[in-house]
Amino acid sequence: MFRTLIASAAVAALATGASAGGHSDLLSKSWDDIVAQAKAEGEVSWFVWYFQPQYRELAAAFTEEYGIEVTIPEGTHDGNIEKFLAEASRDAGDIDVLAMGLDRIDLFDPAEMTVGPLTEVLPNGSKMVTELGGYDGLGYAFAYWGNQTGIAYDPEVLAFEDAPQTVEDFKAFFSEEPGKFGFNYENGGSGPSFIQNIARNVTELSESEFLDGAVSEDKMAMLQPAWDWFLDDADGYVITASNTDSLVRLSNREFAAVAAWEDHLFNLQNQGEVDKRIAFYIPEFGMNGGGNYNVVPANAPNPAAALVFMNWVSSAETQTKFNEVFGAAPMHPDADDSNALVPNEMRAYQTIWPGNPFNTEIRQAFIENVALER
Amino acid sequence: MVSLTDNAPATQQPRPRRRQKGSGLNRVLMGILLVICTIWLIVPFGMAILWSLVDPDTGWNYPDVLPPSLSLARWVEVWTTTALPDALRNSYLLAPTVAIITLILATPTAYCFARYDFPGKGLAQVATLLPLVVPGFVLAIFFSSLIFNLGIYSRFLSILIAHCVLFLPYAIRIMTVAFENVQQDLIDAARDLGASPWARIRVAFLPALAPGILASLIIVFIQSIEEFAIAFIVGAPNFVTIPSILYSYLGYNFVRPNAAVVSLVLVVPNVLLMLGLERLLKSANPAQAGVKG
Amino acid sequence: MSWRRTATILLLLMPGLGLILIMIGSVFYVAVMQSFGYFNLVGEDVFSLEHWRKVLDSKAFNRAFQYSAYIATVSAIGSVALAYPIAIWLRRPFRGSLVVSALLKAPLFVPGLVAAFLFINIVAYHGILNQLFIWLGFIDEPIRMQNDRGAWGVVFLQLWKNMPFALLLLSGAVQGISDEVLDAARDLGAGAWDRFRKVIAPLSVSAMQAALIIIFIGAAGDFAFQVTAGPTNVQSMSQLMVFLKDSFGRWNQAAVVGVCLMGLALGGSLTLALISRLLLRGGRW
Repeated sequence: MFRTLIASAAVAALATGASAGGHSDLLSKSWDDIVAQAKAEGEVSWFVWYFQPQYRELAAAFTEEYGIEVTIPEGTHDGNIEKFLAEASRDAGDIDVLAMGLDRIDLFDPAEMTVGPLTEVLPNGSKMVTELGGYDGLGYAFAYWGNQTGIAYDPEVLAFEDAPQTVEDFKAFFSEEPGKFGFNYENGGSGPSFIQNIARNVTELSESEFLDGAVSEDKMAMLQPAWDWFLDDADGYVITASNTDSLVRLSNREFAAVAAWEDHLFNLQNQGEVDKRIAFYIPEFGMNGGGNYNVVPANAPNPAAALVFMNWVSSAETQTKFNEVFGAAPMHPDADDSNALVPNEMRAYQTIWPGNPFNTEIRQAFIENVALER
Repeated sequence: MVSLTDNAPATQQPRPRRRQKGSGLNRVLMGILLVICTIWLIVPFGMAILWSLVDPDTGWNYPDVLPPSLSLARWVEVWTTTALPDALRNSYLLAPTVAIITLILATPTAYCFARYDFPGKGLAQVATLLPLVVPGFVLAIFFSSLIFNLGIYSRFLSILIAHCVLFLPYAIRIMTVAFENVQQDLIDAARDLGASPWARIRVAFLPALAPGILASLIIVFIQSIEEFAIAFIVGAPNFVTIPSILYSYLGYNFVRPNAAVVSLVLVVPNVLLMLGLERLLKSANPAQAGVKG
Repeated sequence: MSWRRTATILLLLMPGLGLILIMIGSVFYVAVMQSFGYFNLVGEDVFSLEHWRKVLDSKAFNRAFQYSAYIATVSAIGSVALAYPIAIWLRRPFRGSLVVSALLKAPLFVPGLVAAFLFINIVAYHGILNQLFIWLGFIDEPIRMQNDRGAWGVVFLQLWKNMPFALLLLSGAVQGISDEVLDAARDLGAGAWDRFRKVIAPLSVSAMQAALIIIFIGAAGDFAFQVTAGPTNVQSMSQLMVFLKDSFGRWNQAAVVGVCLMGLALGGSLTLALISRLLLRGGRW
């Protein structure tokens, strides 16, 4: 009995992507047939890890158009991805459409575990974004959300003209106003973006070396000037617990500026969580921008409805709506992006995330070399 | 807390008539305790209630000592846009079922630990703690694989099984302690007097076991209501529990007023339930005292 | 031991211990194997000690291990130490004792995340505690108490959450001690401390051990309190495990931390239980 159980657990944990080829029939159908099949399926579940209540309201438009019910469960980012990986061996899983941060696309082989390529299948396919921030979705993953990290600040304490723009400015700010700047190193990417861009600017690594994702001991050793930069001013800044913690404490006048996500700030302000006076900019030394992808798992229980939904989420109308409601950067060229928190010319300072595993190693090295040493 | 500790020995001062002891002193202790309870409960819960009433339009930021305006908008919003009504039904169906089944599964093992000596008993007792040492998410992932492979696709049943196994250690440990409190001379006396097995259980076992049974039910109930990892991994997408919603409001969708609403919805019925159970516990006690006296 | 007795014991153990061994055993096995490079959700399985070497060599792991062991020990001993006097005080019912005992146990029903969230509100830079201190004139500038480096916030939360649990277990045991025994001790001239040490504690040692073990394990595996209220210059074991797992799926390294956490939980709690037994029963089992 025990052996059987272990064996079956092992099989479940090991087996991945059993039936990727099973959807070739579906992909060869005409779009009208796919929509007809989707309507027959009648329901679709979208696993997205944030803003579920608002998404549920927005999805009503989809239900009205196609008569397909949308379920948006509660859940965490990595929890959703683990669920997707863990149930890959089932003939039919629970997930129809799975949302993920774009770097997570490297965790698995899309051709084996998801439905696609879809560029020719979806009506919006040719205009939808399948490569973003250095991560290639290969026509299996499509962006439905764009976002940008930067600095949120309190204009009543810090005028925009005095706000730090360069690495030297930050150094000066730390010594003039100690303890008035906050960033996190876990539970969100805004702090890591700040850390990485400091490292990008104060180390000798070339742009391509910095972005290619490769890791070696020499390369990690070359990050030392960045760690010294942080350690020299250990009292100049405060390490916070998360993206949200930074913004809430900024709003409550503990800080003058913090590292933050543009869309996150936008939403917290709409919820009344963060005061409307807080403003946002992308510093001249650059901070990372990116976005989120959707994929359809190979064992999606409602594959046709999933494709119709994916097409709808990335359409110009829905993307315009997302920009209005969430302040997200639209991922369709025809969408309107007039609701952003920063002027368009500031977007020139956008940088992209380094590839993995280097992206992750920098975060870990920051903990080892800075966080634990404070 | 410190003052209470310092005073505790005083209650034990020998007095001529023990039954009269300490009514004045208890009053003082009660006073101290009320102050502590204020810090212990009223401040945090007061804050939670205030937060749940913050007006979405004005927010609540320093230097406002109190929210500038109050509204019930958050309650309406949480009730209408989240799966909270479903989650309430699921959680309150699941937790009592888990509590009762866990108790039934734990009782024979606990009885064995308390009343039998056998080689390897220490090891067996340590082994019952295993569910506690496996970290939540690791347990959840492999549990779901296991359950899928056993061909169990009912969400309710899957979470039920997982919760029962996960919380068995609490029930076993508490029930072992309870069985140890059963006095052998009472069992013997009842048997010598020719009591039927049921009468023996009623007279010798139940009075001593009652607090343990209630403690076990309470602990398992709470743990099940609160458990997130398994309920989420195994339950998604169509089985939502209250913690799933709470985690979303305290995690990425961090909205303190909404989190406060969900917290109160989760916590208040539990505290009321607790008061009810305390009463039950009390009614069990005189019986116990009567048997021992 | 007769076969009948053996069969009875095995039968009794089956629904509880048997179920645990089968279900947890397989999960446990998978976690251990994963730390050696097997059971990957994605990718090839290769036996490797590399994950263990990497984790054990890292400063973050060593700090996390010590930190979690410290938090767990302080929480377990602190909760029991606070709960004992209260349990003894509430041993005989008196007017209002029901309410007191219910109020004290209320935190049991408050999920960890909620408790941490409420706590953060109170100790925040401009939270009510700082405002009160400023108003009273104790301080001029707010003190930064959130995520304090001494982990006092986490310890407070652990005690808040676990003291009631210890109280629940100890009340049962303390109420089970008969008045005759205590009266006899009093008649023999035992003072309050002696009565506690020689009568109450030894007679309730099982419950105390249960409390120590369960609180230690829970606190060693803490995630919610640490991520919200804990120091930012050290991670707890669970936090490190989740961090590794979520950092580009380093499942194998996370499994190493997980296995070590299991070891810490089991080893630490048993050591505590053993020490308490030795101290109170003078080495007798």
